Amino acid sequence: MLVVACVKQVPDTTQVEVDPTTGTLKREGVPFIMNPFDIHALEESLRLKDRYGLRAVVVSMGPPSTEVTLRKALALGADEAVLLSDRAFGGADTLATSLVLAEAIRRLDEREEVAVVVCGRQTIDGDTAQVGPGIATRLGYSQLTLVDRIDEVDLRARKVRARRKVGGWHETVEAPLPAMIAVVREINRPRYPTVPRRLMAEEATIALWNNEVMKLDENKIGLKGSATQVRRIFSPERAKGEILGDGLSNPEEAAHLLIGKLIEKDILYL
Amino acid sequence: MTEEKRVKKPRGVARLIPGKCIACGARCQSACPKDAIEMNEKGEPIILVEKCISCRKCLKVCPADALEIYFTPEERKILAEMEARAKAAAAEAEKMSAEEAALLAKLKEYRGVWVFVEQIAGEPAEVSWELLGVGADLARTLGVELCSVVIGDKVEGLCYESFAYGATKSYLIDDPVFHYYRTEPYYKAICYLVEKYKPEIMLMGATGLGRDLAGAVATKLQTGLTADCTGLAIGENRNLLQTRPAFGGNIMATILTERTRPQMATVRPHVMPMPKKDPSRRGEIVRESVPIREDDIAVKVLEVIDERKAGEVDVAAAEVIVSGGRGMCAKENFSILQELADELGGVVGCSRGAVEAGWMPAERQVGQTGKTVRPKLYIACGISGAIQHLVGMQQSDIIVAINRDRHAPIFEVANYGIVGDVLEVVPALTNRIRELRAKEGTGGHRG
Amino acid sequence: MSSNAIIFAIVFLAAMALFAWSSFRRFRLVALGRPEDRFSDLLKRLGGMLVYAFAQRRVLSRPFGLNHFVLFWCFLILFLANTEFLFGGLFPDYVSLSRLPDGAYHTLAFIFDVVSALALLAVVVAFIRRAAFASPHIGGLSRDAVTILSLVAILMIAFFGLHGGKIALGSEPAAYMPVSGFVAGAFFSGASAGSLAGYINFFWWLHAIVLLGFLNYLPYSKHMHILTAVPNCFFRNLSRVKILPREEFKKGNTFGVGQVNEFTWKGLFDSYSCTECGRCSDACPATFTGKPLDPRLVIHDIKMNLLKNGPLIARKKTPVLPLIGDDKEGSIAEEVLWECTTCGACVEVCPVFIEHFPRIIDMRRYLVEMHAKFPEELLTLFDNMEQRSNPWGIAPAERVKWAVDIEVKPFEADKTEYLFFVGCAGAFDARTRRTTVALAQILEASGVSWGILGRDELCCGDSLRRLGNEFVFDNMARENIKLFADRGIKKVITQCPHCYSTLKNDYRQYGAELEVIHHSELIAHLIQEGRLKLDGAGDLGRVVFHDSCYLGRHNMIYEAPRKVITSATGQEPTEMARHHAKSFCCGAGGGRMWMEEPIGKHINVARVEEALEKDPETICVCCPYCMIMFEDGLKDKGVTEKVKVLDLAEVAARALK
Repeated sequence: MLVVACVKQVPDTTQVEVDPTTGTLKREGVPFIMNPFDIHALEESLRLKDRYGLRAVVVSMGPPSTEVTLRKALALGADEAVLLSDRAFGGADTLATSLVLAEAIRRLDEREEVAVVVCGRQTIDGDTAQVGPGIATRLGYSQLTLVDRIDEVDLRARKVRARRKVGGWHETVEAPLPAMIAVVREINRPRYPTVPRRLMAEEATIALWNNEVMKLDENKIGLKGSATQVRRIFSPERAKGEILGDGLSNPEEAAHLLIGKLIEKDILYL
Repeated sequence: MTEEKRVKKPRGVARLIPGKCIACGARCQSACPKDAIEMNEKGEPIILVEKCISCRKCLKVCPADALEIYFTPEERKILAEMEARAKAAAAEAEKMSAEEAALLAKLKEYRGVWVFVEQIAGEPAEVSWELLGVGADLARTLGVELCSVVIGDKVEGLCYESFAYGATKSYLIDDPVFHYYRTEPYYKAICYLVEKYKPEIMLMGATGLGRDLAGAVATKLQTGLTADCTGLAIGENRNLLQTRPAFGGNIMATILTERTRPQMATVRPHVMPMPKKDPSRRGEIVRESVPIREDDIAVKVLEVIDERKAGEVDVAAAEVIVSGGRGMCAKENFSILQELADELGGVVGCSRGAVEAGWMPAERQVGQTGKTVRPKLYIACGISGAIQHLVGMQQSDIIVAINRDRHAPIFEVANYGIVGDVLEVVPALTNRIRELRAKEGTGGHRG
Repeated sequence: MSSNAIIFAIVFLAAMALFAWSSFRRFRLVALGRPEDRFSDLLKRLGGMLVYAFAQRRVLSRPFGLNHFVLFWCFLILFLANTEFLFGGLFPDYVSLSRLPDGAYHTLAFIFDVVSALALLAVVVAFIRRAAFASPHIGGLSRDAVTILSLVAILMIAFFGLHGGKIALGSEPAAYMPVSGFVAGAFFSGASAGSLAGYINFFWWLHAIVLLGFLNYLPYSKHMHILTAVPNCFFRNLSRVKILPREEFKKGNTFGVGQVNEFTWKGLFDSYSCTECGRCSDACPATFTGKPLDPRLVIHDIKMNLLKNGPLIARKKTPVLPLIGDDKEGSIAEEVLWECTTCGACVEVCPVFIEHFPRIIDMRRYLVEMHAKFPEELLTLFDNMEQRSNPWGIAPAERVKWAVDIEVKPFEADKTEYLFFVGCAGAFDARTRRTTVALAQILEASGVSWGILGRDELCCGDSLRRLGNEFVFDNMARENIKLFADRGIKKVITQCPHCYSTLKNDYRQYGAELEVIHHSELIAHLIQEGRLKLDGAGDLGRVVFHDSCYLGRHNMIYEAPRKVITSATGQEPTEMARHHAKSFCCGAGGGRMWMEEPIGKHINVARVEEALEKDPETICVCCPYCMIMFEDGLKDKGVTEKVKVLDLAEVAARALK
């Protein structure tokens, strides 16, 4: 049986800068990395592999350069990597993305039964947290988001028991397999690749599934299949740091000013 | 032969405006009908001039306006001459195609602004009321009703509460099967209501529950969903202009859902202002039921633990952190941080210095060798801001620094700074909050 | 004595055979190690062997070394006497000192006699020292020590018994053997010829048996160093900087050392050469501050592991005792390996040139590269280094933010002479940025042609290499070297000893021939040339100077920073108790900067306390890590108001005219 991790390659947003005069993004030299949330999803899939002897497959949709991220996943311990890449997949929003990923998982399932799909909570470039639920809905899998602990996967009874972290609450949920589990970062501490695995991953074959393989309706994928369109992009206003009052001679006044600011910014409620 | 032909209209070629591409994910390449665009490793387009037919499809889809059509000076001259003639032709092209007309007709069937009222065990999430506030503005602009959607077990009261916050109609599904939140029955219930009553806008809180639900609903309805909006307005063709941060907050994007309905958006708590509550307002309750039985639902909630009562402190997950460093001078002084944190509904963290001094346990440490945190509010007290600490907290939404040393590096990352003695400033903060609350007669933080 | 000679011949042959067999069993295990060339530059090696092994220079660097020096030379001289003794025993009719011409015979007899007395005296002194004054790491009167000292003492006593008897009997002249003559007079004066012959026979056999016994005891004790120390000095690492060789990242290779035979033969030979003198333990910052790491034990544990597993490995069987593990399962506990700061103090003090910390890095490589096992805190470091080429994971654009109030030019090939390699701390750490600015001011003031790489600068990778993450270091090194080549960079100024040493020494393994200059050298040079005029930075008070490990011990730069301080302040810096080659680490090297220090006293606090003993107002450092560690240490002691830490560049910049 398979455990499938969905990962995305994203620009390292912490290295993105906005040109203060033109308001455009300066992306020069900004590297692409595996979405930090997805590293935890991959790690959890590898732990399920170690715990239950599942075969770990990692799937990613993106341009051909996504191969780098998939090789990293192989270096960390995934058994197989599938790259979903086609011009027709480009420009997709979460709706169109979840279709391609869901169809890829369906194809994997035809070959070998899928028990669990693990996704990261969200991506750092899009921040939507929508792809995981999209996949679950399309495939009719149990949907468990915000999972911070997988207690047990019972392959025989076809059940999974996991803990979800919702606001200030924790709830333990039992759901039938197959399940889509979207994990939070606190769920695990990712492993580090060993050198022999890195070397192995460098030479490994990565399956490329383009739309000739996938045969999806072109009107439902990529830009055409996207329900949302980005209309305009602009740079946000940035608050500059300010020193409030004179805290040395008049701490009360400084405190009043700060509390005022926090109330104004909707950070503090009375 | 060619000379006798009419002067051909110069078409130019598409070209990238340097520095503007945001590597959105190859929208231009995907839009190009002639495969004239390759992507480089940075995710920027390379236009194959010989293939480009200057159809401008790439320009249209580019969210960053990073592409333009380039003409040589001679071409520009010819263009100017032809422009007059072109104007006449353009008027004709205004005619709407049959296909678009059909789409518009379909979209017209959807009317109304809906807000999903989120609740856990009957306790509503405040974000729902905030959404009613912004929803009212949208409904007014569109000239439609503002409706709340209440789903749960014995939750009729929330319908009345939603009226108090501005809804005029409330769709209510009240059934024990909805006692716990589970994705499947909830999304099915909402889809049922949407298919029946066809709203044009559906808003939900970008909470754990809201995100879980919205993703499933939008997929099932095959419509657009925009997460974490910070701004909502109505644009042309009654489209919802959804503004949200992208690329880790480095840029803002305005997103439209033009061809499908409802237009779905989620908004984070505390982003929209809370509307005034008016308990005298009334509205219409539309009671609905969906044929979902407990036996049909395979997902079971086995146990619910309220962590807020368990006393477990998780610095990484806290929304407010009051952190102390060596500048706190002594272990006992951390009690004043705890008092402030209690007032703010937060937890106490610390720098490596405080752990090394033995004042705080290592699991509270924020920084390179401790935890990386991203709270809404981070108050650094007596922390100089060594780089090891900064990398662990500089992603916080609002950073407040309190330190005696005006030149401490912590002020470089702080939104608000107070130069002063933490032992004086921190109690002053706590007292001020208590004082204001006493005046308002309120008990504490909400949410 | 012909029947005696036959019996002795049998005993002798048996003893020699046993010794040869034991030695073979021991030394063939060394051959299990990986190959390594330690035969280059033979003259230099021989020279070093004379200075360090025969002249015992390092042994003598500590007061008690004199006793060992005496004993060592006594042994060398008595080696001649004992050879004569053994062959005299085998061929009594042919071999005897007395067959030499009188002059030579009498001289030798005198020397042997006096030297034996000296040896006996040295043994007594050693006994007393071990019993009363031994440092905690030397082990006091251990069984091994008592055995060997007793054997030597008995050997000497037997010598005097034998020769005293012979003198009393009149078969040897008393005049040339004063001590034996005294023994003859004191113990054998009234004895009959018959009983004298009995005594002589007894002492002769006692001497013979103890001598052969001693020889056979050697291979089984720490006194194996008698056989290995001299060659170990010969085979020493000739370069100052102890960097490990590169690894070849090919599929099927293993990386680092996880099994004892994966050390090079020299690594194994080192373990046989350890005398357990404990000097490395005394010098080690980890041992000193109460951590489980003790470099002496690491070497000892390698030896014990080799003795246990070596014979199995030689027979192609699986080793039974893991080299690395927790203290019950393996020879060397995993945690111990992460406590090393690679400060090099152990290597510096070792009288026989054992290389301790490189073996630790060998094992770190194994843990990181083969098993991805390392302290939790390092995961962030490793990821940041690989993804963003700096330890904190800060965006490269921030690299130029230090230069807000100062104009900086990018490095341009053929136009700019020096690249100022700012370094990650220099670019990102708020405190170190002040050093960067100070150095930039100095460069400007002295008209040096310099430029920076700005956001294109990459981390040198020092921490990764010391932590054993050779794979990522290898990538970073190659990337940096390519960048330097592409930009036409030949001369580099660094403000960080770690960047300095990495660029200068480690990158040489990649064929990079950069002229790397640490700012201390550069500033000293600029002052000397008259290009930089300093005017006495009067407000610094008493300045103590701290030698950074990677500047001092690793790269032998001791005087340049002191000269700069003298020029800048008008007075020589005050020295701490441990300085120059004996300087004590700040605690941040070897990747320790990125780890917690849960056990024992904090190394930086220990060093700060040492500095505070001199009652300074300013502590001058030459390294961003030292800066951070000292500032933290001063905060810990609560004396930041009284004492400040300044980098050498800041000291110099304050004195700019």
